[in-house]
Amino acid sequence: MDAAAVDRHASTDELLAARDGAATAWTQAHLSACRACSAELFRLDQVRARLRGLPAFAPPRDRWTAIARQAQAERRSRRWHAAIGVAAAAVLAAVVFAAVRPATDAAAEQAALERAMTRNRALEQTLRVLEPERRALSGEAASVAAELESRVSRLDVQLGEPDMWRGDPSRRIELWRERAGLMGALVDVHVTRAAAAGL
Amino acid sequence: MADTISLAEARSLVARAQAGDFGALEHLYRAYAAGVYTLARRLTKTAEDAEDVLQETFLEVCRSIGRWRGDGSLWGWVRTIAASKALMRYRREKVRAADELDETASGRGDDVPLRLDLEAALERLPERTRAVVWLHDVEGYTHEEIAEMMGMTASFSKSQLARAHQKLRRWLEATA
Repeated sequence: MDAAAVDRHASTDELLAARDGAATAWTQAHLSACRACSAELFRLDQVRARLRGLPAFAPPRDRWTAIARQAQAERRSRRWHAAIGVAAAAVLAAVVFAAVRPATDAAAEQAALERAMTRNRALEQTLRVLEPERRALSGEAASVAAELESRVSRLDVQLGEPDMWRGDPSRRIELWRERAGLMGALVDVHVTRAAAAGL
Repeated sequence: MADTISLAEARSLVARAQAGDFGALEHLYRAYAAGVYTLARRLTKTAEDAEDVLQETFLEVCRSIGRWRGDGSLWGWVRTIAASKALMRYRREKVRAADELDETASGRGDDVPLRLDLEAALERLPERTRAVVWLHDVEGYTHEEIAEMMGMTASFSKSQLARAHQKLRRWLEATA
């Protein structure tokens, strides 16, 4: 027996690694010589077995009705937003082909609006190329993506209600810019995952 | 929790769900609700928090069912969403690991009863530490996977697990 293997006891870290099948050579040698550490390893294994044996909890209430109601509302909302997207594209086309106007503040605002909408369109195109619906995200990334999509949807609702910005053209530009920011973040999430997957 | 839905059945259910069949989604809820709720109870502070995680998880499943690749356990996919939803609450509440590690600050250091059963001892662990124990020892996540989910390092996960087992040993010794 190597004397170095018994000059100290194994740490909890080392014993847990051994329990999980990742013991170092030193830990293996030590365990074969040290009864106390072998007993501690057995105890750690027993605790894990007891943890796994703890009873499951039953949900106190059935939440399905509430979940289904909200999911159906979101699904309807997404369809509507898709229709708004088409309408927004039509508006953009109208802007692009509109008659030349005098260089006024209104024209500058129109140009800013056009830039923001064009940026959104470019990001939508990038996202389509990434095919997010075909790529699995980790739970955390999926949650982030869902939150971003949800915020984009909420902005689309505002953009689809002219009463919210008709009297304040700059507000409409802000909404489109904010949407571009969220779309950019959404693209980043999918690009990151694509890179991680080596795609 | 073992997956109670076979891969073939899972693929069929997901295809139906993607086509808009809420009956298929309800089937998934009925199969996995207890597993998700149990995981959430172990990772959150209260039963109410766990119920919220249950609802958030299945809403996410309804939204993202098309993202499941179909080549692994559907329960594993749902479970990871549930764990993420539960762990996200830590971030929202701005729980800092350092706060939890400070036993004196949390009042958990000196007033530990002499005898605790395993359930009570687990409950007594700081929330984030308990999450590491549960995710690693019970659910079988690796330290690297836990680190990714919690936004920490694998070393942090390992050290939390070791500290947790030292505490559990102390608290359980009298009952052994």
